[in-house]
Amino acid sequence: MSKSRFFYVTYIRTSPEKLWQALTAPEFTRQYWGGVHQESDWKVGGDWKLMIPDGRVGDSGKIIEIDPPRKLVVTWENQFMPELKAEGPSRMTFLIEPRDEHVVKLTLTHEMDRPDSKLIEGVGAGWPELLASMKSLVETGAAFPGDDKWPEGV
Amino acid sequence: MSSDELIVPPDVVYVTYIKASSERIWDALTSSEMAGKMFFGVTAESDWTQGAQWVYFRDGVKDVHGEVLISDKPRKLKLSWRVGGSPEMSAIPPAFITYDIEPVGDVTRLTMTQHQPKPIPRKFYEGGLRGWPVIMSILKSVLETGEGFVVTMEPPK
Repeated sequence: MSKSRFFYVTYIRTSPEKLWQALTAPEFTRQYWGGVHQESDWKVGGDWKLMIPDGRVGDSGKIIEIDPPRKLVVTWENQFMPELKAEGPSRMTFLIEPRDEHVVKLTLTHEMDRPDSKLIEGVGAGWPELLASMKSLVETGAAFPGDDKWPEGV
Repeated sequence: MSSDELIVPPDVVYVTYIKASSERIWDALTSSEMAGKMFFGVTAESDWTQGAQWVYFRDGVKDVHGEVLISDKPRKLKLSWRVGGSPEMSAIPPAFITYDIEPVGDVTRLTMTQHQPKPIPRKFYEGGLRGWPVIMSILKSVLETGEGFVVTMEPPK
């Protein structure tokens, strides 16, 4: 079966521990990820939810693999757009690898076992901006202006 | 699949967003000092006008070079991209590198597209795929923080 897949790599001047915090801790994600935070017990098999600031669940799934500060794999099913929810679960992986001194490589893979997935197309359009804003937050202390707010009408 | 297998590769596209104006990004892409940070020690020579030759020198020796095909400051820079160095590297047909610079709200989107119309050994395509995220990440860090970083890359195998 052909797959839909989005793949992105960025290098960040930080430590794996700080990058893990930036990707998972509510006080960080709220600053660059449209005000969202994740809710999870962060254990394999546990629920994972991406919470929109107004209280809706944006996306949800299960923790497939978790190895702080190296690897996180979750299933990811959209919950607020019927057309995307109908596609069922995708799978998102963060891989964090220390490289040279104070440099960390982040590899994101977001994939689904179906061709031409609208969800993968959508997240693929969003991830580069989101991760660029996250890199700015980690390296400069400030994400992009406005990235702490959920877009109106969505 | 051998890494020497010849393929016409898909375009390598890398998108990032930088807290800097289009003009600062253009100036960085055409600056010898920034080339040295992005490509680990080269110096650049060109006036970056349409039709001009451009060269990255490494230790005084001509390394990557080509022609400026589009110079639309501060929006689009398109270069032919010929690799220098070893005879094996010099035999690779030129690629085409396009930088598109677009303001988006308070930040600027930079899109790098590497197009290779001719067959090349797979390992050189994979080298580009691995290299561009490093180069673009350094450019963003230097423009936003004044400081870059070094990532040790292995040569294509």
